[in-house]
Amino acid sequence: MSIIEVKGLSKRFEFHRKQAGLLGTIKSLFYRKKSYKDAVDNISFNIEEGEIVGFLGPNGAGKTTTLKMLSGILYPSAGQVSVLGYNPQKRQKDFKKKFGIVMGQKDQLARLITPMDNFVLFKAFSEISDEDFKSIMDELSKLLGIEDVLDVQVKKLSLGQRMKCELVASLLHSPKVLFLDEPTIGLDVVAQKNVRDFIKKYNHLKKTTIMLTSHYMDDIKELCDRVIIINFGKIIYDGKLSHLISTYATDKIIRITSIEPIQQEDLERFGVVEDYQGIRASIRVPRELVKKTASEIISSDLMIDDILIDEMPIDDIIRVIFQETNREDK
Amino acid sequence: MLKHIKQGIVIIKTAWLRNLNYRFTIIMYRVGEITELLVLILMWTAIYSGGAGVIKGFTLNEMVTYVLIGNLCSLAVRNFLPAYVSRDIVEGRLSMFLVRPIPYIKYIFFNELGRSFLVTLMSLLTQVMVILFFLDKFIFNGNIVYILLIIAMIFLAFVIELLIGFLIGAIAFWTDETEALQLTIDRIKRFFSGGYFPLSLLPVTLATAGIYLPFAYSFYFPAQLYLKKISVHDGLIGLGVQVIWIIILAGILHMVWKKGLKKYEASGS
Ligand SMILES: Nc1ncnc2c1ncn2[C@@H]1O[C@H](COP(=O)(O)OP(=O)(O)OP(=O)(O)O)[C@@H](O)[C@H]1O
Ligand SMILES: [Mg+2]
Repeated sequence: MSIIEVKGLSKRFEFHRKQAGLLGTIKSLFYRKKSYKDAVDNISFNIEEGEIVGFLGPNGAGKTTTLKMLSGILYPSAGQVSVLGYNPQKRQKDFKKKFGIVMGQKDQLARLITPMDNFVLFKAFSEISDEDFKSIMDELSKLLGIEDVLDVQVKKLSLGQRMKCELVASLLHSPKVLFLDEPTIGLDVVAQKNVRDFIKKYNHLKKTTIMLTSHYMDDIKELCDRVIIINFGKIIYDGKLSHLISTYATDKIIRITSIEPIQQEDLERFGVVEDYQGIRASIRVPRELVKKTASEIISSDLMIDDILIDEMPIDDIIRVIFQETNREDK
Repeated sequence: MLKHIKQGIVIIKTAWLRNLNYRFTIIMYRVGEITELLVLILMWTAIYSGGAGVIKGFTLNEMVTYVLIGNLCSLAVRNFLPAYVSRDIVEGRLSMFLVRPIPYIKYIFFNELGRSFLVTLMSLLTQVMVILFFLDKFIFNGNIVYILLIIAMIFLAFVIELLIGFLIGAIAFWTDETEALQLTIDRIKRFFSGGYFPLSLLPVTLATAGIYLPFAYSFYFPAQLYLKKISVHDGLIGLGVQVIWIIILAGILHMVWKKGLKKYEASGS
């Protein structure tokens, strides 16, 4: 049996459109048109113990909705979910003691007290023993390097420090399954890497099964062997990340920084110019040509200061897959 | 049992830690309370100075004592649950509790217990100061039976107010706009609690209604008991009415919360 089993899972939201303006508001007092949104549409997948799965998709694809259903916050409209053998919908206490969730966009720590005060509260909620609490706190705070912010009011923490504390709050009870919804959102590159490294180490140490959403390719590349991609509520890819990249990420991105502003026309002979800001630009180049093109750029007469080769952003890859699957349909 | 107490103590302690950040707010609230109290006392003094020695059986001194004692009781039982609960629902913070192995209701009750304990202590202090100021008009009642009865009544009233507060907050499951409703209900509660004037000044039907509603037990009843205008016997009946209300309200809350959660689970936030 898999740790997470999802079969035919769907979520249809019912809502009323609010018309703009005073007249519209008055109208809607008497007559409200019901609208439906199939946020998650008949998805199925299994996740095995110890896996880190990247759950990807553009804004509004249905990622958060799915994670909410897996953790029992939302009721599904159809389909079955089993997490650790439990039906999350029943919200059993035993189940709640075995999984954790972090929502990057929603904080669970009270802002006016210190992280430690918050943790003590969560410790009481989950009935963690004093010894367990102490050893887990020691371990986590060392791994995350937050020993010296534990007694600072949460509202005075930086975003990165707070996110690390949010992670701790969800890990105090040593969950078997962890849902991470954009745990690196808004963090700078360094903090992002810290959090990422921590997740990797933690998974390695505890064999926790992790499902993670992120809009950053670096997170996914570092952490996930397997990715599930969702778009308009439907799964459009479920498989190895390496296969995804070799099949769909047909291009790479060359990012250059120059000493003096370069004309956009001068760059267009190397590839498709995606983002142009004078001394900074990104050029899209077919994967097999990328090394050759990069060396051409360096040896050209352009005043190049720095050059960097990147994978295509996730959202672009998704667009490619989406276009291809749609083409097949027709 | 021990487990619940342990959890409760941690929640209460955390509530204190959090509320100690609001020192300025807490002090400003007390200023507001004192002002309101002084206005009421001045008003009654003015009314009585018109020549009436006794109004519906109240002398000026009794009226002033009524206001002082009633106010003290109503402060002791007051809570901010409507605002907390509705905010947690509207802003989706409730989700964070749905994934924790403790019922939200249990958490928020303990939290409010902790918060109001602190505030009540402060209120008591300021109220005692006001009472000292009006000492010449204040009537003493040191009868232990009455005092115990009043304490029991206030405790039950505290529970009733928590249940009502929670119910009002739960309205947020169905609409985002709960503020005006909260204010209106507050006014009605205040009126029927005898907070504006003793219920016995009202027409009989309204006064009787007031006695069977749960609100009078946080102001009018304990104040009248203190003045010995209500007998111990009637006071005990009052406790019975309170217990019945607690059962009814707990039942309603159970149903409403279940229904609300269903709705929340459907739309989530
Ligand atoms: N309570 C709700 N009522 C109506 N529609 C909703 C509700 N919650 C979400 N939706 C809609 O469902 C769709 C999926 O939302 P969801 O939050 O799951 O997306 P997401 O993949 O997490 O996106 P993002 O990357 O922006 O976080 C969106 O179109 C959203 O507008
Ligand atoms: Mg989301």
